Amino acid sequence: MDVILAFSCNPTEQPLCIPESILELFELPVLFGSVNRTMVYIFLAAIIVMAVLFFAYRKPRLVPTKFGLAVESIVDFVRKDIAVGVIGPGGEKYGPYLLALFLFILVGNFFGLTPFINFPIGSRMAIPAFLALVTYVVFVFAGFKKQGIAYLGHTLWPPGVPVALKPLIGVIELVSIFIVRPFSLAVRLFANLVAGHTMIALLLGSGVYFIYAASIGEISAIKGFVVGPLWFIFGMAIFLLEILVLALQAYIFTLLSAVYIESSLHPAH
Amino acid sequence: MDALMILAQEGAGLSGNIGSGLAAIGYGLGAIGPGIGVGIVAGNAVQAMARQPEVAGMLRTNMFIGMALSEALALIGFVVFFLAG
Repeated sequence: MDVILAFSCNPTEQPLCIPESILELFELPVLFGSVNRTMVYIFLAAIIVMAVLFFAYRKPRLVPTKFGLAVESIVDFVRKDIAVGVIGPGGEKYGPYLLALFLFILVGNFFGLTPFINFPIGSRMAIPAFLALVTYVVFVFAGFKKQGIAYLGHTLWPPGVPVALKPLIGVIELVSIFIVRPFSLAVRLFANLVAGHTMIALLLGSGVYFIYAASIGEISAIKGFVVGPLWFIFGMAIFLLEILVLALQAYIFTLLSAVYIESSLHPAH
Repeated sequence: MDALMILAQEGAGLSGNIGSGLAAIGYGLGAIGPGIGVGIVAGNAVQAMARQPEVAGMLRTNMFIGMALSEALALIGFVVFFLAG
């Protein structure tokens, strides 16, 4: 999904080169052994998160440094606003999990906008799927731990459901809670990253293409050198929008994890 | 139906595969409902925030939850687009 893709075929024959199959967008060359770029960046994201937290809290001091204060505000935001704010009292217990989730997704997302990396790790379906699976295990386990086997009954049949409707409601709730929830959690992150990244690649690639086509005399110079930079400007505007979207998606993933944990801890709503 | 097939052929574009054109149309249709839903959620949340700015934080959280939930259908459409296209 690089701009290079546009040059891998002959642009004089095809106006815009597209891959043979959509799956080509999701395959990565192996770097060494069986390690590819995705794995390298996963470890990089984990190391960055750990390093930031370690250096911010290495020496607790009365008056924190600017860096410590910035990290502290993020930690405080996740703990107060998401963990306690959504789950309620007792939510501090899930604070570390939510913080790890939030920071990992945030750093992984911003890899997509980092020059020379340009690869949001959430755009490989395996990563959001695994994170959603962990959330799934956490909220199902929290429900069984809090309510025992009654968790299933409370979840499938909210209080006050007429007996005649119980089979129907049960099936709907079963599908929506145990299948659609983790699925939509994973796909939301994946879709936003893929769509945003494709859009940036397409716009910047169009800019390159117009300038390239003008430089080899395929289209007139005025057309190429006026329209090409316009594509670049548009791409840069979308780039700014993506900063917002990436941070928002990390927030939404964490927030929904907290909401799901809350719904299995306090069923009677 | 003929018009739809012509549109699908146009949408297939360079690859010439009518399936991907139809998948694109299907995703477009599937995105209508969630688009309206997200708009209603955000609009009403902004209205509520304007009426009662002191609970804006809580409303914002609930707005994101509501938007995320109503997005689910569009996301399923996105996956179907990938599977079919």
